Amino acid sequence: MRKANQISNAIERVLLDEEAIDARVRKLAAEISADYPDAVYGDDGLVLVGVLKGAFVFLADLARRLTIPHHVDFIALSSYNEGTTTGEVRLIMDSRINVADRHVLIVEDIVDTGYTLDYLQRTFAARNPASLRTCVFLSKPDRRRVEVDIDYLGFEIPDVWVVGYGLDFADRYRTLPYIGALKKRIYEK
Amino acid sequence: MGLQDDVQKILIPEDTLQQRIKEMGDAINAMYTDEDRPLLVCVLKGAFIFLADLTRHLEMRHEVDFMETSSYGARTESSGVVRILLDLERNIEGRHVIIVEDIVDSGRTLDYVTRNLDTRGPASLRVCTLLNKPSRRVIDVPIDFVGFEVPDEFVIGYGLDFDEEYRNLPFIGVLKEEVYSEPEEGDVC
Repeated sequence: MRKANQISNAIERVLLDEEAIDARVRKLAAEISADYPDAVYGDDGLVLVGVLKGAFVFLADLARRLTIPHHVDFIALSSYNEGTTTGEVRLIMDSRINVADRHVLIVEDIVDTGYTLDYLQRTFAARNPASLRTCVFLSKPDRRRVEVDIDYLGFEIPDVWVVGYGLDFADRYRTLPYIGALKKRIYEK
Repeated sequence: MGLQDDVQKILIPEDTLQQRIKEMGDAINAMYTDEDRPLLVCVLKGAFIFLADLTRHLEMRHEVDFMETSSYGARTESSGVVRILLDLERNIEGRHVIIVEDIVDSGRTLDYVTRNLDTRGPASLRVCTLLNKPSRRVIDVPIDFVGFEVPDEFVIGYGLDFDEEYRNLPFIGVLKEEVYSEPEEGDVC
């Protein structure tokens, strides 16, 4: 493992290694590229909306494997009460691109309760896009509180605390190149 | 028609880029420790791909944060006035900060961001840019880590765009002149 000891010592086990992630991301990118055969250059085309902070790594890898023209945009959210699961989401920075009549693909790192994604889907649907789809790297179906549609999914994972590839624990471990399960002693401290 | 048809030549191929980014990661590894816990500040949108790859090589504890700025200027020439659209989530007082940029061109945006962050009292403030175009510099800004110096050509790919296009090319290319010199319908000059 490439990362220094203090970091990798916090990892119980590697759930998805770099090779597995890379192979899956390429496959997703090929699927998406095939599903938007009429994607065009310019201001009528596909917009990928990445959700900060977590999705930036997945978005960076996914976009590079797409063979169709598209624009990239970001949105920043936070929940009102950190640590609670009331599902209220606050918009910190809206996307800059006007998505009316454009094809929108929301790019998320993980869907857990589904509250955030539900908020995003409702928000973008209200802006009259030509189409709205969602691409999620990880899904934890056991944690779902609200039903959400996912069009492109990387992996389903069990209900364990995962970090890496954009996912953090208190802003730590976010940039690990693999998905790891965090040791209990770290998050129960 | 593919995105690559608009590329006049590949300036930095993907493997050269990745090799150099690993070296830059090593240079940062040599300079910071777990205790320093540097905060890498990514200036959106262009730098997100570089940040995703660079941080995968970092071995010390670190965090990432994002800023989005916008200039009021015309398409290719910055007016020098910078507006912060998304500010950092983290308080950087007493923190070791590394600003991560895709390219330093005129230096105006970087100069503004550097001065702005400096007023917040970081323990240290360094700049890491993938590309440097010294021939275009208007304001002298100190840079600590540079990936490549590039000539004064219209470079795209690896986060760098022309009108939001070509960002996702996995290499650095030079855009064909007929693409950016072509007057677009509806553009106000």
